[in-house]
Amino acid sequence: MTRSVAILGAAALPVAKWQRPRDAEIQVLEHEILAKVVIAAMQDAGLDKSEISSLVFAQPRPYTQQKYFATFIANYLRLHCTGTVQEVLGNGMTAALAFEAAANDILLGKSRVALALGINFESAVPAVEHMMNSMRATGDVDFHAPFGFTPISWYAMDAARYIHEFKSSRAELASVSVKNRRHAALNPIAQFRKPITLDDVLAQKPIVEPLGLYEVPPRGDGAACLVVVDEEIAKTSGKPYVRIRGRGFFHEGAHQINEVPNDMIALVSAQRAGQAAYQQAGVTADDIDLAELYAPCTIIEVLASEALGLVPRGQGARLCAEGVTSLGGRIPIATSGGLQSRGHPAHVTPFYSLFEIKEQLTGRAGERQVRNARLAVTSAELGNYNAALVHVLEGVQ
Amino acid sequence: MMLASQTIDRTRAFPPRMTEFTQRFWQGLRSGRFETTRCDDCERLTFPPKPFCPHCWSERVRWVSLSGRGKLYSQTVVHAAPMVFQAEAPYRVGIIDLDEGLRIATRILSETEPRLDTAMEVVILRYRDGPLFAARPR
Repeated sequence: MTRSVAILGAAALPVAKWQRPRDAEIQVLEHEILAKVVIAAMQDAGLDKSEISSLVFAQPRPYTQQKYFATFIANYLRLHCTGTVQEVLGNGMTAALAFEAAANDILLGKSRVALALGINFESAVPAVEHMMNSMRATGDVDFHAPFGFTPISWYAMDAARYIHEFKSSRAELASVSVKNRRHAALNPIAQFRKPITLDDVLAQKPIVEPLGLYEVPPRGDGAACLVVVDEEIAKTSGKPYVRIRGRGFFHEGAHQINEVPNDMIALVSAQRAGQAAYQQAGVTADDIDLAELYAPCTIIEVLASEALGLVPRGQGARLCAEGVTSLGGRIPIATSGGLQSRGHPAHVTPFYSLFEIKEQLTGRAGERQVRNARLAVTSAELGNYNAALVHVLEGVQ
Repeated sequence: MMLASQTIDRTRAFPPRMTEFTQRFWQGLRSGRFETTRCDDCERLTFPPKPFCPHCWSERVRWVSLSGRGKLYSQTVVHAAPMVFQAEAPYRVGIIDLDEGLRIATRILSETEPRLDTAMEVVILRYRDGPLFAARPR
């Protein structure tokens, strides 16, 4: 098979608190929002709706009242599909898996135009209530949850270990938040755009020590749609597009912690998935121009950038503080503003990473454009990077 | 081996579920034992205890006692807690590498921040409605 997959169109809702409380008289509902995003993405691709034959959804949060959301939207948008209509779920990896399933339909010849799409509405559900849900998605419900672990508490323990092993500091890690906010200030769809200083970050209330409020992801709502096509369609469109050059996946067979003690902060899954993606793409980490990583907390951006070979092991935090991963630096990471500032509507977050990469690799990123950007890497994960899905993407102008 | 225990005069915030298989573990805690399963074929330990060996998939496993001793691999203090843990927040949790070569995660009992790699021991917590375990500097 010689088929190749491209992203020809994309649209994303600015990340914000869109969801209204359950008792509000006037609601903002998922299907109305998502339909607008889909139409915008298809306008971006310059394709007619009749050409769509697969819909792969990131499953909405449990708070979305409309169930069987995928088939509901197929009706709402009057889409006949010969490929598939499905919802996928995989914690923070959800949208990356949806993207991959859409790409697979192209590779298998089941579709020539597939939408990877979804909406994550959750902001009207209080955090203490949401955590009752999310604490059962990380760790073991019977052997971890009873002690009070939360999803980001696992990342906090990565941070403590990193500081201990590499003689790093909270301030070095916090520089990731400052850098990402600086990027977000240039991104019209980012949730938080007002610049912040290192002192601002360090002064925030603790959430999971050593991480404070600005070092963990805010809660927000988002929706996005990627138009995934057979590259032949992208070529004949005459538009710039993004080609999938490589992908890699690895699950380490552990959930949160490895019961056989290992180097938890090496993120072995990101290492293995990254190597596989680079190999398939025929590139090395040195060839990459920019990265959008799934990194809910500052420490995870550092660890993932190290695991993917973008910066040397143990130096990621310091190099961020020195500007190496900033716009204008050697390897810009999270030009969107990352999960701390662009925002983290979890089930669709990897769509936002791919959206940013499409903007960058097609030269549309405006003030935050990485000059001469041609190759990018994205990652998505679940647990504490117990699994990683990595894509290498190339811009074709 | 009998482990130290503490009585806590309230119910567990988020009690674990028990199965016919895992009740041996939870009832063992009540009697001061911290147990898990070991494979008779490949002789490897696993935690949490399982009715088979996750390494070789043998179903010939037996219960063995753990020393409860190990080292602190990492820790954090949770300030933003789920609803059922609100009353306890902030609280300390961590990851312990047991001397037997198993990694566990549990509540940490320590007023001050323990240094990573500190020697730790498992203690049994006796709540009104049943047991849990935790770890503290040794």
